[in-house]
Amino acid sequence: MIVGEQKPIAEIKEIVASSKRLLILGCGTCVKTCFAGGEDEVATLASALRLAFKKEGREIEIEEFTIERQCEDEFIQESAPAIARNNSVLSLACGAGVQAVARRFARTPVLPGVNTTFIGVFESQGVFTEECTGCGDCKLALFGSICPVTRCAKKLLNGPCGGSQDGKCEVDPETNCAWHLIIDRLKSLGQMDNLMTYIPPKDWRLSNSGGPRKLVREDHII
Amino acid sequence: MDNHFKPKITLFHCINAFNEGASLPLTGADDFEMKIVKLPCSSMVKDVFLLRAFEAGSDGVLVLVCPEGECRYVEGNIRAKKRVEWVQNLLDEIGLNGKRLSICNISFGDEVATAQIIKKTLKDLDELGPNPAA
Repeated sequence: MIVGEQKPIAEIKEIVASSKRLLILGCGTCVKTCFAGGEDEVATLASALRLAFKKEGREIEIEEFTIERQCEDEFIQESAPAIARNNSVLSLACGAGVQAVARRFARTPVLPGVNTTFIGVFESQGVFTEECTGCGDCKLALFGSICPVTRCAKKLLNGPCGGSQDGKCEVDPETNCAWHLIIDRLKSLGQMDNLMTYIPPKDWRLSNSGGPRKLVREDHII
Repeated sequence: MDNHFKPKITLFHCINAFNEGASLPLTGADDFEMKIVKLPCSSMVKDVFLLRAFEAGSDGVLVLVCPEGECRYVEGNIRAKKRVEWVQNLLDEIGLNGKRLSICNISFGDEVATAQIIKKTLKDLDELGPNPAA
């Protein structure tokens, strides 16, 4: 899922400073799971902003609405009446959701309320970890399904750097060494031979370094 | 300080920590208003409930929870404490002062301690003054 974190209130206040009627639009999928932009976070932020503006004697009407996903037109459409009632939208979706809503409503400013952080997983209650960089050329099959591109601080593809201690990364002792995990995992899978496969230098043009990417599925296009 | 300031308090409580029918040994009960919201467990107190109490005009919000280690649902009072701390930070960020919100552990039936907590809340509010966003 996409993991994000709500922006600080002070920054949000600046972003919505010129709004008189503001819709706070939540997204009920990824950012809900990481407590950044679901229905509860929309309600909390709306209440906090109302209090903050009232304290400053500023008048602003705030409406709250959450849709299932802000990255798909089918769901975005449900927000059309609420967007029409307001003169700007504060989206609590990831950056993709903000842009998808903006694309649909040309005359309404759609503002970001969340810092989109990474593609990750729910590790434990309240803890989310980055697991995928979206590099565009997945080699997880060789690495026992543990990604060194994302989880090794040095992005090493042909074995460990040798600097880890007790399974912890030398760059950040709070982080598990990805290569320690990979080797443990390959041992338990009986796939240590994978380590004999040489991985050539990575083609980063397939990642975001090659500019924005587009996936086209001709079989789904009419 | 406004001499006519009559503080409004919203009290959220776990039904296992406080009996709203209890007679509290409090003097000056006419000097403040108190709205009571009972919860089946203090873990039910969401961030937005606390903030909406301030939106509704409360000068202070108090959350009474069971003593640590005595929550019937194991960790409800710990969750409530974490939520309160989160909202206290939020109140500081928006300039309302997180001290307007407090959480206390209380044993069921301990009216003396409850009255002391309310007195302390009133004393704090006397220093903080009325809710600037009310």
